Amino acid sequence: MGMTAAELKERFGDTVFDSVEVEARGEDMVEFALACGETDPCFTDSSHPDFQAPANFATKYHGARMLPSDFPKFDPARMIDAGKAIEIHAPIRPDTKLTAKSHLHDIYEKTGRSGLMVFLVHRMEFTDESDELKAYVDWRLILRGGLQ
Amino acid sequence: MRGAEVSALVILDLHNHSIKSDDGRAKVENYCQWISKKGIGVDGFVLTEHRQFDAESDYRPLEDEFGILILKGSEVETDYGHVLVFGVNDEMQTAFDFTRIGLSAELVVREVKRCGGIAVPCHPGRTQVGMLAHVRERGAVDGVEVIETLNGGSRGSENDDAQSLAEEFSYRGIGGSDAHIVSHIGRCSTRFDQDIEDMDGLVEALRTSRYEAVRVSS
Amino acid sequence: MSARSYESVEFGEDLPEVEPDVGMENVKRFCRSAMMYGPRFTDHEKAKKEGLPSAIVPGIMSQGLLGAIIHNWAPGCTIKSIDTVFRAPLSVDSKPTCRAVVTDKDDDTHSIEIDLTIVNEAGETRVLGTAKVEL
Repeated sequence: MGMTAAELKERFGDTVFDSVEVEARGEDMVEFALACGETDPCFTDSSHPDFQAPANFATKYHGARMLPSDFPKFDPARMIDAGKAIEIHAPIRPDTKLTAKSHLHDIYEKTGRSGLMVFLVHRMEFTDESDELKAYVDWRLILRGGLQ
Repeated sequence: MRGAEVSALVILDLHNHSIKSDDGRAKVENYCQWISKKGIGVDGFVLTEHRQFDAESDYRPLEDEFGILILKGSEVETDYGHVLVFGVNDEMQTAFDFTRIGLSAELVVREVKRCGGIAVPCHPGRTQVGMLAHVRERGAVDGVEVIETLNGGSRGSENDDAQSLAEEFSYRGIGGSDAHIVSHIGRCSTRFDQDIEDMDGLVEALRTSRYEAVRVSS
Repeated sequence: MSARSYESVEFGEDLPEVEPDVGMENVKRFCRSAMMYGPRFTDHEKAKKEGLPSAIVPGIMSQGLLGAIIHNWAPGCTIKSIDTVFRAPLSVDSKPTCRAVVTDKDDDTHSIEIDLTIVNEAGETRVLGTAKVEL
């Protein structure tokens, strides 16, 4: 790749590179909740007056791209999912159209069980039709073998 | 040294991370609260933040409030895996770049000793981040005297491998929890038969053989 | 409004342990709801061909399992964040245990922090994380 993690962060950090629209369907919210073991009817009964998606529901959505189109190329088999964080700002209600904008929130290097690794933190910001912030979802992606 | 031979004066958990580390999620105050509330049998712990030395934080008020010794070291990344560094000082921080990954383990061990500290390869039984596989491939690192034989984040077999490595090369062994979340502190520690009040005392103690790695229960 | 008051929660309090359903049928149900169609989650043999020990539970399902034990412990609470690290694969059709414990209380915001872990039958941590919750 020829760039350090710091250089990649300088070039790509905090620039929105993707925006998609998704619909949070009530029936998916119920199935998601039940499979996870939720029992509160506000998550499992779509007729409940406070019906909403379980806390991490937005983590299921992907953008059209994981990385900026001009990000240096590498073998996708070297990419692994290291973890996920969600910060919830408002409940997601059924049949809401959400806009998810993506940017690279952080890029750094360390060594792990798989050797040299570059961590890419892909942040998706979810808002609804009225532009209310619903959630941030951070994908921590590991690029095994580093920036080759 | 076996457990029966060490009459414990101080038990310290020598390997932990706070929110200062990129993957740490625990506040230091909460570590203290946890040890106190759960009656964890440790007298103190060392914060070994990844690839840095946290010179700024002053934990003396927490030490006073909870009666727990809080020391600061570092965990750096070398070509033989991760290495704990105790006794960090200004001279050491100019001797090599703590933030770099893939540092020469030999250089780290040598420079840490020259600057008055001690370097301890940690979780040696883990692949890549531990020294065992590297030793098998390229031979031992000159100057290593102590390794972490009991790591709270390693699998049982990985700690067994670390213990075997220590026996093979006559390394002394320490224990540390490698906690990244509050409830993981105090799982593994090191029992010393001498009093330790500060980092200088810890480094001095680690140069002796009067300690052993232990699992701690509340 | 949470069924558990902030004042009633103690630092160090364990939430009830749960043995979640990570059987193949339930994982398939989750995958349908999350539109995750990779065979590594729903087919043991195909997962093995990818070099995995078996079919694996999706990371976000593990996160959802941990969220559910919080909601079931304090119905009506608001989870503000969940941050999870997937340390090692969690096998479909295994018998893991979800654990959670209160590790911080913030009197100003009436929020608490909870440590979260999923361990396998051997007691090895597969998933760990933290959550921030308002009561």
